[in-house]
Amino acid sequence: MRSRFLKVLAIGLAFALLAGFAVGCGGDDESDDTSTDDGATKTDLMIGMVTDTGGLGDKSFNDLAFAAIEKAKADYGATTTALQSNEVADYEPNIDDLVASDYTLIMTVGALMGDTTVKKAPEYPDVNFIGIDQFFETPAANMLGVTFREQEGAFMAGVIAGMATSSTFDARLNPDLTVAFVGGMDIPPVERFEAGFTAGARYANPDVKVISSYAGDFNDQAKGKELALAAIDQGADVVFAAAGLTGLGCITACQEADALFIGVDADQYETVPGSGDVMLTSSIKKVDVAAFDAIKKTIEGSFPGGQNISYGLADDAVGLAPYHDFDSVVPQEIKDMVDTVKAGILDGSIAVPATRAEL
Amino acid sequence: MPETDSKKRSISRVLRSALRAMLLPLISVVFAILVGSLIIRLAGYNPVVAFQALIEGAFSPKRFGETMVRATPLLFTGLAVAYGFRAGLFNIGAEGQLFMGGLVAAYLGVALGGMSAFAHISIILVAGMAAGAAWAFIPAILKAKVGAHEVITTMMFTFIARGIVQWLVAGPLKAPGPVAQTEPVLPSAFLPRLDSILPFHVPGRASIGFVIGLAACVIMWLILKYTTLGYENRAVGFNPTAAETGGISVAGTTVKALCISGALAALAGVTEVLGLHGKLFEQFSSGFGFTGIAVALLAKNHPLGVIPAAILFGGLSAGAGKMQLEAGVSQKVIFIIQALIIFFVAAEELAKLVLGRERTEVADVAG
Repeated sequence: MRSRFLKVLAIGLAFALLAGFAVGCGGDDESDDTSTDDGATKTDLMIGMVTDTGGLGDKSFNDLAFAAIEKAKADYGATTTALQSNEVADYEPNIDDLVASDYTLIMTVGALMGDTTVKKAPEYPDVNFIGIDQFFETPAANMLGVTFREQEGAFMAGVIAGMATSSTFDARLNPDLTVAFVGGMDIPPVERFEAGFTAGARYANPDVKVISSYAGDFNDQAKGKELALAAIDQGADVVFAAAGLTGLGCITACQEADALFIGVDADQYETVPGSGDVMLTSSIKKVDVAAFDAIKKTIEGSFPGGQNISYGLADDAVGLAPYHDFDSVVPQEIKDMVDTVKAGILDGSIAVPATRAEL
Repeated sequence: MPETDSKKRSISRVLRSALRAMLLPLISVVFAILVGSLIIRLAGYNPVVAFQALIEGAFSPKRFGETMVRATPLLFTGLAVAYGFRAGLFNIGAEGQLFMGGLVAAYLGVALGGMSAFAHISIILVAGMAAGAAWAFIPAILKAKVGAHEVITTMMFTFIARGIVQWLVAGPLKAPGPVAQTEPVLPSAFLPRLDSILPFHVPGRASIGFVIGLAACVIMWLILKYTTLGYENRAVGFNPTAAETGGISVAGTTVKALCISGALAALAGVTEVLGLHGKLFEQFSSGFGFTGIAVALLAKNHPLGVIPAAILFGGLSAGAGKMQLEAGVSQKVIFIIQALIIFFVAAEELAKLVLGRERTEVADVAG
């Protein structure tokens, strides 16, 4: 008897669950805001974005690219969507799906997707491809490669780190003259961050030692924390992470082991709530600005394909975020030095290395 | 005609017991979909649209090719884990053996030139299996000789395998270019696409790796059911003490079982490299070795059960993109649904309680 009762109960619960959906789904008509009537250019362009396996929610790289297509939606009424990739095998089908759904501008985000873009662009000559962080040897007319001179912003971050570790404006700074770099994967854009940061730290103080390590993953916070803790253990008091989600683990490490942190891509003071106590500044890379620039050109004129565009300090696409909570404690001497260095990079008197080999 | 009659009866008995064995996994899937719907609903999306897109994206004729692509590695890893389980061994390190298979495939795919595709592919398949078996051999011998638990050792060997691959693809085996990956394998090493060898059109990029996977499941089923090797495997898994008393070497069987399991897992790496990516890079596996554990669990460790289980998990993975595109639901929801399936399979005891004990005797038909 008991088992029959349970059976009836289970079936009853299942139906209740189903009924819940039926009711719930009924009143869910799409109510997208179609009320942007401010006279700006309207477009029926359909823009799709495909993330690498890092995915959205990294508070930096992929989220910034997403911000660009969101802005295109808000400003021009474009139809936008972002497809995330759980695994490398998702790259191609995600592009195929977007094309099948009539998306004609596809942004592939991340150096790791470069090969896929090169493979897919010739298959779909009527679709335009923007490759963020991708450099194409022979860009076809429907391909635009967008890269950044990350090293220029990272150099300035390195100068701050190098001067900070040599000074005592915060109790967490020790006399070991050591700073740390944590990279996601060892790919060119991350190497540019590393090279610029290392050169900047040495420029500030030739005696500064930079501990570099790579997590091999943009998506592993535990690994990020572990690497940062290891570096702090060796005396590092400023940690710079160019590692996507992995970098969030470095922030935790700095908070637990009393070190300062420099964020990446976005102003991470803003994007990572509760990080203000360690966030000295961020080495920003305005993926959103560059991506939106390409989208804007496509909508207002024509797709700027067949080339690679490199964005740097002069384009205001890389640079430093404000000091925020550290604004009152960072010595004026450091701030002045950063301004001097910035001017030097802009007028070419400071040559910033882009690879470890150039260091 | 008593003979045909009894034959008929025995066929119907087999069918019935097979159906009974599939009942609980099926219920688990249904419950997972129901709870998954609730989660999608709570997240503010329409579960009906989402699952329509998911099913269409996975099992419509146009898309089934992609499901086969995703199911291929899971056939091998699911089978590997299931075979180990049948000997009472938890090969949690299928991922590491897979990495070694992929490594061998990427290396020999470039290094061995000037031979027919058949010879090239055959050599790599055998070498890959040998590498996987070798990778499993050390944990196996440790288990057999000193009783070191295979859950720990195979897992540790997974980290080592990953580390080796990570280093090789970024260093000695790195192809020129910005990304850490190996040179593309020679055309003679590419697994032919199903479309190019079957008389009918198969959309997408599914390779004969899928067919090899199906064949492996059938072969392992026959081995388990009809050979001495399989009998010993099952006997040790069922009751090692009794097996030992009965004259079966538990240590020997343990080593054999883990090595076979490792060889099967390595085939997943081989087919991913030769059938899909054509090269090796660090992220070439999205944890297929671990998903294989789930597949084996859902298959109730039956080699033939691995086939529908792998296709289901492959379909979830293939359909996720479509679901994301059409319903706006994040691909990550698929992970939740996969986890729920596992949860409900694991919570089988609960289902047994609900269904009544008498009807769910353990159906160890399959041999």
